[in-house]
Amino acid sequence: MTQEMQFKTIVAQYCEVTPEDMTNEMRFREDLGFSSLDFMSFLGELEDEFDVELEEEDALQVWTVGEALELLEKLQAEG
Amino acid sequence: MKGKEQKTYYPLTPAQYMHHKWILDYKTQQVSGVSVVASLKAPLDFGLLKKCLQLEFERYGCMRIRITKPDAKGDSKQYIVDRDSRDIPIKDLSGMSMEEADRLMQSWAYQTFDGDDIPLCDLTMMKLPDGFNGFFIHMDHRLIDSCGIVVMINDIMQLYTHYRFGSEYPADLADFEMVLEKDLKRATSEKRFAKDKKFWEDQLDALGEPLYSDIQGPSVLEEARKKHGDKKLRAADIEMKDLFVDVKDYILEPEPTKNLIDFCMNHQLSMTNLLLLGIRTYLSKANDGQEDITIENFISRRSTHDEWTSGGSRTIMFPCRTVISPDTDFLSAAYEIQNVQNRIYMHSNYDPALIKEEMRRRYHTPEHTAYESCYLTYQPMPVKMDNPHLADIPQHSKWFANGAATKKMYLTVSHTADGGMNFSYHYQTAHLEEHDMELLYYYMMRILFKGIAEPDMTIGEIMESV
Repeated sequence: MTQEMQFKTIVAQYCEVTPEDMTNEMRFREDLGFSSLDFMSFLGELEDEFDVELEEEDALQVWTVGEALELLEKLQAEG
Repeated sequence: MKGKEQKTYYPLTPAQYMHHKWILDYKTQQVSGVSVVASLKAPLDFGLLKKCLQLEFERYGCMRIRITKPDAKGDSKQYIVDRDSRDIPIKDLSGMSMEEADRLMQSWAYQTFDGDDIPLCDLTMMKLPDGFNGFFIHMDHRLIDSCGIVVMINDIMQLYTHYRFGSEYPADLADFEMVLEKDLKRATSEKRFAKDKKFWEDQLDALGEPLYSDIQGPSVLEEARKKHGDKKLRAADIEMKDLFVDVKDYILEPEPTKNLIDFCMNHQLSMTNLLLLGIRTYLSKANDGQEDITIENFISRRSTHDEWTSGGSRTIMFPCRTVISPDTDFLSAAYEIQNVQNRIYMHSNYDPALIKEEMRRRYHTPEHTAYESCYLTYQPMPVKMDNPHLADIPQHSKWFANGAATKKMYLTVSHTADGGMNFSYHYQTAHLEEHDMELLYYYMMRILFKGIAEPDMTIGEIMESV
């Protein structure tokens, strides 16, 4: 499984959209129906699954699936 | 750890421990009771309903939780028994008025589950007045929270309509034990624990000791200061003996409710944060404009499909501390609260008992004191059987207070079937009267509707004008 698919599989646990149907333009709140609590819980799960540390300020600037994925890749690149 | 009968023993989660500690502190299980009746104005096949209720014990693992005897430190373990094949009794109250029936069921809600390693869940089939039929659920909050109960009611009725009308069999519910194991694994991650601990301690470093604010104004803190001989005391006593609670419900009609919802949608605010702003502004007004206000807010930690359908007790309370100047406009104040809450959500794996412990360590507060007088739960889910086969059938569902409040005032806000909102105030009668709730509701509404009509008005101006 690619990292993108692994990432989308986690997102899919929180909403009604399957990983296959999920596009990077989808917004967490408006398109996927995330509440604030869902989004923050999801970020916590990302940290655990991919062993990265998110800065709260950065995380609060994330609106779409693509932006979250980009942030994850950036954090992994920074090691 | 495996026992003699190959049971797996787990520690309690922080959410379960919160209720467990209340039981130990207040010396009665009554503080942890949760009861609801769900019924339909239709004849039911009680033989079939019994089968569905018994099946639910198999499907919903949290109903089979047992809790061991507390050890010397008060800690208990939990385990899940494989089977619970009990009979389900039926009670016929159809000869009563609905008020009488509700009163009787209310008395059942006061009953306690006393003992260790025992079932903590009772189900009773009900024949109710006016042609209503259904079932009464009485459980211990260490097993389930109110969202979990709503999921359970819907699942039972989906089973019933499957067997009765041939509708689709309900989808499997998530395995409680699997979700529990995942939760416990996260809670014991050292990295996560350190991060959460830092967040909560940084908040105390930045803001210092919180300051108590009471629904009845500053005199309550003054009394506590006198009692403890400490003019600088910032916490007030909590009631430990007379826990009797009364309930006052106020219904907000569908149209004004829609105005609140629209305001939230248009400004990307959550209803919880708007309600927190309403309560904290009232407390500020009642306490001579005090800026530092803390409210305990309950969070139902259900986000994934598995968390939604696994049952269990996932509701946990965290202090929402706001220091808002009266010069702040209403909308900015709402965003300030939202910002605080978002950060709390990110650190809601933490055990709130540790936050209290840290505050006691830092500020040496006397035993049985607190910084909060108000507790809020916002329930976005209505207690309604969400089932197309039952859509046109009148329903009678009612939550019953357990009659023993650990909190001075506990407000539950939920949505009604017709699009309105119910503000249910549970208040300790040892200290509060219905009139206090009237004032609180009246001012909360005035503050909220003034604020959403004129979001540029400052908090100070709103407090002055209402």
